[in-house]
Amino acid sequence: MVIDLDKCTGCGACMVSCMSENNVPFKEDESDKKLSITWMRVYKLTNGKSFPEAEIVYLPRPCQHCGGIGDHGHSPCVSVCPATATDYGYDTGIVSQIYTRCFGCRYCMGACPYHARHFNWWDPKWPEGMENYLSPNVSPRMRGVVEKCSFCYHRYQLAREQAIVEDREIEEKEYQTACTTACPAGAIVFGDLNNPAHKVHQIVKPDPHPDPMNHKVVGKSRNPKVFRLLERLGTNPKVYYMSDREWVRKAGDNYLKGEWENVKTHHGASSSHG
Amino acid sequence: MSELENKANDGPEDGAHHGTDNGPKDDKGLGLGVIFFMGAFLVCFLSGWLLFPKLLYSKKEQPFNFDHKLHAEETGDCETCHFFREDGTFSGIPGLQACMECHTDEPMGESEDEAVFVEEYVAKGKEVPWLIYAKQPDCVFFSHAAHTVAGGMDCKTCHGHIGESSSSRPYEENRITGYSRDIWGKNIWGIKKNSWDRMKMDDCAECHLEKMGHKGYCFQCHK
Amino acid sequence: MKIDRRSFLGLGLGAAAGVALSPVGVKLTDDSSIWTQNWPWTPVPEDGKITYDRSVCSLCPGACGISVKKINGRPVKIEGLDDYPINNGGACPHGISGLQYLYDPARIKTPLKKNGNKFEKISWDEAISLVAQKLGEIRKSGTPESLGLITGADSGSMAQLFERFMDAFGSPNTYNMPSLESNLALTAAALHGADRNLGFDLDHSDFILSFGAAIIEGWGSPVACIQANASRRERKAKLVQVDYRLSNTANAADKIIAVKPGTEADLALGICAVLLAKNLIAGDVNTSAFAAMLAKEYTPEKVEAITGVKAADMEALAMEFIKAKAPVAVPGKGRGDVGQSLREFAAVQALNALADRLNKKGGVFVMYPADYLSFSENVMDDAAKQGASKAKLAGSVNELVDKLEKDGGLSALFIYNANPCYALNNPEKVKVAMDKVGFKVSFSSFMDETALRSDVVLPASIFLERLEDVVSGGGLAKTVVGLCRPMVKPIFDTKHPGDALILLAQAMGDSIAQSFSWNSYDACLEQVTGKIWDTLSGDGYVVIDDKPPVGTPATDFTFLASAPKAAVPMGEGDYTLVPVDKMRLAVGSMISSPFAVKIISDKVLSGKYSVVEINPATAGILKDGDIAVLKTAMGKALVKIGFNEGIMPGVIGMPRGLGHAFNNPYVAGKGVNVNDLIGPVIEPGSGLDAAFGIKATLSKA
Repeated sequence: MVIDLDKCTGCGACMVSCMSENNVPFKEDESDKKLSITWMRVYKLTNGKSFPEAEIVYLPRPCQHCGGIGDHGHSPCVSVCPATATDYGYDTGIVSQIYTRCFGCRYCMGACPYHARHFNWWDPKWPEGMENYLSPNVSPRMRGVVEKCSFCYHRYQLAREQAIVEDREIEEKEYQTACTTACPAGAIVFGDLNNPAHKVHQIVKPDPHPDPMNHKVVGKSRNPKVFRLLERLGTNPKVYYMSDREWVRKAGDNYLKGEWENVKTHHGASSSHG
Repeated sequence: MSELENKANDGPEDGAHHGTDNGPKDDKGLGLGVIFFMGAFLVCFLSGWLLFPKLLYSKKEQPFNFDHKLHAEETGDCETCHFFREDGTFSGIPGLQACMECHTDEPMGESEDEAVFVEEYVAKGKEVPWLIYAKQPDCVFFSHAAHTVAGGMDCKTCHGHIGESSSSRPYEENRITGYSRDIWGKNIWGIKKNSWDRMKMDDCAECHLEKMGHKGYCFQCHK
Repeated sequence: MKIDRRSFLGLGLGAAAGVALSPVGVKLTDDSSIWTQNWPWTPVPEDGKITYDRSVCSLCPGACGISVKKINGRPVKIEGLDDYPINNGGACPHGISGLQYLYDPARIKTPLKKNGNKFEKISWDEAISLVAQKLGEIRKSGTPESLGLITGADSGSMAQLFERFMDAFGSPNTYNMPSLESNLALTAAALHGADRNLGFDLDHSDFILSFGAAIIEGWGSPVACIQANASRRERKAKLVQVDYRLSNTANAADKIIAVKPGTEADLALGICAVLLAKNLIAGDVNTSAFAAMLAKEYTPEKVEAITGVKAADMEALAMEFIKAKAPVAVPGKGRGDVGQSLREFAAVQALNALADRLNKKGGVFVMYPADYLSFSENVMDDAAKQGASKAKLAGSVNELVDKLEKDGGLSALFIYNANPCYALNNPEKVKVAMDKVGFKVSFSSFMDETALRSDVVLPASIFLERLEDVVSGGGLAKTVVGLCRPMVKPIFDTKHPGDALILLAQAMGDSIAQSFSWNSYDACLEQVTGKIWDTLSGDGYVVIDDKPPVGTPATDFTFLASAPKAAVPMGEGDYTLVPVDKMRLAVGSMISSPFAVKIISDKVLSGKYSVVEINPATAGILKDGDIAVLKTAMGKALVKIGFNEGIMPGVIGMPRGLGHAFNNPYVAGKGVNVNDLIGPVIEPGSGLDAAFGIKATLSKA
């Protein structure tokens, strides 16, 4: 997935679409954002300057579906789950979350550097009658279970069924996440990062080799405008961000003095690198 | 238990008298214990095998008998009622609308079962509350397309010879889990002879491992 | 032989071993683990056939096409409709949460009658006869003009049906709630001629000069505007935002022109003055009196003093505007509905006229309203003709509130698609005014602040349960009529408001019944959409027009030449309190859904407190996060302080859309209704409430 931060208006349509698609509950009081379950969350960042140099960026953050160090499938959350309730799918690169296996130890929540996981402290409760809009494609959860963005995997399952019955491959437009289709500004682009025909690959141009400057990192973008959150950790997320603005790209990590200069000019290796 | 009581009465003296004899009293004491042991063991073991399933499963009947053999002959195949929709999803057990494509307010045959169907369901427009043998939990996503189309599997492999049955077998419901006995399998040990005897996750995994070399990723079958 | 401890031990061990080696252990363990994953209190949604149905969202004037995913006919998801010409597949957070409005148990489920302080349920037959009886009495007393209507519907068949009823009944007293649509219509009428409206061709403009318009935060047709903004980079189109704070639109703009709040019109006039002085205007625009006024009152120095924009900067902006290939100036602070003045809208439109942007691609279209409805002649008896030709009680809904509060004047009131007891400034006064009306009938779907004060509620089905035409509006350059279609049968005992009106008219008999001789609203719609019905019902929409209208309309600058005065924030205080529009907070008659309320930032709603933005430079002793008392001439409220470098010093920005007061813990009882703190300032001539803000004080709580 690649999200164009210059197009994002912060409207929150992605957040609502995700909640509606995935049977995410809502409480009477959602003002404590630590407890509010929003698989997709739009953060507001500023450049720290005063008016009139002040600038804002809205950053939508779904689960990053990390590939882990070296992109070998050891996502931080997958590595710590004692119940294998979460697992890395090598076929799709999507990190699954199976609610019936999770017993709510929340170790994964601690491990995730992106705060992408949410815990059901209470049983989800829908006002009488509202359960009618729940989708059968996603399992409703009980209390004590962790949930997170699944890249709308159920849509992939359904798209595959149609493709199988028609004896063909899935087309790019057939599997799109709820947030992607909702975004009125078209800021989110979703597809197969490894497929050169897909738009997301054409924008991101991920480098399949490990970054020579940091071997933990694989799939770094060759597009100078594209970056990933906390890239140097080596989580190797599937979600890329794009911005013309340098301060936004710099906001993708915590840089100590002098560190940004190195990163700024070093993008995914060109094909001449090994 | 009377058998055991007899054994106890006829058996050697118990080994309660420690102090006096140094003979085979221990053997005698142990012997009784052993016999009790063996007896209890046998009873419990056999109960587990024979009595337990009777207690665990409650027998229910389908709302009325459904003759698969007859319908298969009438329609010629399984797909008329159990078909893939245009979007690739499987229609599963036909709803009332599907049955009413042929069945109307007038019975087509003379069976009492059809009479029940027509009176209670067709006339009232009520869906038939079939008890589904193969019902999986909500967390399961099963793609019929992936298995019967892409995998080329036959219905029988998982569902058995249901298409050739003239009557609906009783639905045995596990009192603890609420699922059909068909999931764990008729054999209380969970040992299966045919592929359609069981439908637990490890059965899926077993077949996946055999056919695809890999048990499968969680999201392939769960949601 | 004695059965002693050893035998029991043997028995026990045997039993244990037997059980352990029997299938019981394994089976029970497996069964128990399955049992723990059975969560019978958790809903298991029913699966079934997936279908997609198309409709048009009617929550806001945006009129976006939506696609509703259904499982066995049960709606489960709303998304934008890909091939709909207004939103092209996009959707906003409110439209997507539409199903929450559909199934909300807080909906009014049956007609209601006020009995003392409580509502009691009645049947539709009772409700209709009760209202028909009361209205019949009014007619008999010879004062049919004492029936009033406050409506939020600016266009479409429902708006015309209500007008038809009022005509047939014999009352001229129809009042529209303030909206961007009606403000633009008023502007077009003042400058170009009656019965016209304005549409802004943002998609093709290469230089958008927005005077405070929240283009990516809900102005106009929100999704269409967001898409027009998103395509700017590829089109190399520039956006300049005139604003007093760093709104999201200002942030997205290429340049921000900081002005003092409420002085946007002055800047527009200043730019007009520059263009006239440099003779860069379109040749055939008659401007003499206007030009003279501008030369005198709007010199660059004067404008600088008023707005805070340096003279040189204003001149540079004027030059950039006129030199662009396809510039357009956009009026309407925030969402452009309330707190606006004709002066401001006219000033911005004057700029468009002088720059020769009328009916040009990428400019502003002076459009005739979509003329696709043809109703048969209304049947008006003598009483109706007499009553309808009388003078209206007031010129606008705000003036109506004034009049009612002072002297009364209406004996009955219909409220349709409006929530004046919340959405107008000084709601307390509105409530007093409404209490002076003897009989109030609300057509609301939810028990909002206005419905609470009604005498009878004839609950309307919501848009997902209705067949209805939905016309584009709100400043959109193209004219599209969409067909909103029912996705389900009404969940509760509600009716299409059209059906309710038809039943009511028929119950009243005589000429009124004759005017409403349809069997149902659905039949009426098919009839009155005549020529376009086939396409409308087949394709789901009809594009009436999407090209610039032919010819350039004349512009009458008389109104502006008279140098109308700006509205002054009333009261006293160090700060100016200004309401701020947020995309995630619905305003007007729409109440935010639980999902929309959930995504409100904790910098906007903190716990139960509205968070007000102030610049730390003028915070005084107040610190970020403090609870403070915000006091204005209208009242006071407890708020939380939120420091924002991006707001002009001396200004308090307070979010609109919070502070609902009715019984729904998910969406009401949170924050403060900013309208409670601001009093209307009626603009002479237009009747608009031009109060863009009010003086305020802040003190630590």
